[in-house]
Amino acid sequence: MDKKVEQYDVVIIGGGAAGLTAGIYCGRARLNTLLIEKSLVGGLATYTNEIENYPGFPEGSTGLGLMELFHKQAKKFGVKFKLTDVKGVSLEGEKKIVETFRTNYEAKVVIIASGGKPRLTGAKNEDLYLYDKGISFCATCDAAANTGKTVMVIGSGDAAIEEGMFLTKFADKVIVSVMHDEGIMDCNEIAKGQALANPKMEFIWNSVVEEFAGDGHLNEVVLKNTKNDSLIRVPVDSCFLFIGYLPNTELFRDVIELNRPGYVITNEKMETNVPGVFAAGDVRDKFLKQVATAVGDGAIAGYGAEKYIAESEIFESQIMGSELPGIVFLWNAVMPECRALLPVIEAFEEKYKGKIKVTKVDIYKSKGLADRLEMDEVPALVYIKEGKIIKSRKGSFTETDLEELSAL
Amino acid sequence: MKEYTLDCLGEACPVPLMKTEKKINSMEVGDVLVVQIDHSCAMKNVPEWARTQGYNVEIEEVEDGEWEVVIEKTK
Repeated sequence: MDKKVEQYDVVIIGGGAAGLTAGIYCGRARLNTLLIEKSLVGGLATYTNEIENYPGFPEGSTGLGLMELFHKQAKKFGVKFKLTDVKGVSLEGEKKIVETFRTNYEAKVVIIASGGKPRLTGAKNEDLYLYDKGISFCATCDAAANTGKTVMVIGSGDAAIEEGMFLTKFADKVIVSVMHDEGIMDCNEIAKGQALANPKMEFIWNSVVEEFAGDGHLNEVVLKNTKNDSLIRVPVDSCFLFIGYLPNTELFRDVIELNRPGYVITNEKMETNVPGVFAAGDVRDKFLKQVATAVGDGAIAGYGAEKYIAESEIFESQIMGSELPGIVFLWNAVMPECRALLPVIEAFEEKYKGKIKVTKVDIYKSKGLADRLEMDEVPALVYIKEGKIIKSRKGSFTETDLEELSAL
Repeated sequence: MKEYTLDCLGEACPVPLMKTEKKINSMEVGDVLVVQIDHSCAMKNVPEWARTQGYNVEIEEVEDGEWEVVIEKTK
């Protein structure tokens, strides 16, 4: 079966808060944008029952409800959605390819917003009981099915404790396995206080999962005491894992620079080591992973995508693609010494009209073109002939300098 | 190659996944199953489960809050 080929300006991989925000910015900039999401649009936030710290919603919002609004806004700006998983990518070079099961999507820019996936415990027989067999990662999804039951929560971070408390609204008993000493939890103090006071919650301190057991469906979790290695067999109806996330970056490993745990390394403009490839949200190596910070990343990546595409067009058609030899004047509009050179360059342009193509590049908003011309300071001049950089010079200049540089 | 449709509209987790597993196991390699769902929770586990089995999965959003999960039994 031959694969279909479709062209876009921007392909965004991942439809969580970061990807959707990048989509809103790209769509609004009238870029032809495709967002690929492997399952439910909204990403990890849809696994959270209540989001109370996303600004603008003083009454809080459900994760799903908030993400539906993001989705609606991206659609309004013309972003197209494809619900499938990405099988492979080719990111180096100007034409990027994002491959799915049926189609190859070609794009000028790719934004990686693939987030993370829940980490597993690695305990014995874990794979036998995933999803509908008793091990879940989503309290919002599976809470109602546990009405009147006994459930276990693994972990003590914000997600574990907050979702654990949500589960107490349905389950009779929520047993939390915490690896730390009694009273020590990784979550925020407010959640900790509430959880310790919740009569339906029990805690098993200094414990990790040793084994999952059952008869087709999970009915027992075997914990191990980390102090004395004794085993504790706990009968449960289901078990929820909240022990962190792993980045979804296997596809990018060979091309994109990752840190040791596998998160994408970016600069503050969300640029990766490959030109035209940006990353945003939880997939990045960053300090705080929240909807509020994912939104900021997405906005920067979307804006960066727009700038990159605009610069590529100027670079290829005007600067490198010109039939005439060219002089590029790199300047910064806020620097007086750069402004002082404008009359010199304009007089030169007038004098050699039809012989030399002069392009003025203001780097105030973006250094992208200066980087492509391998120039790290302004004012500067670059001489280009037949699509190649021939010579360049830094600092102030006179008309004679210009003539000398362009061999006139 | 046959195509089957599984109506899981109105059904909450974990019912759609249980029904999907049962149906897929009764199908031949190469057959395609279209699972109709309208509970967002099933969008998290049905495609994920099918991919871990190594099947090809594509989803169509029929309308807001209603999806068709297309699963090709590849092995």
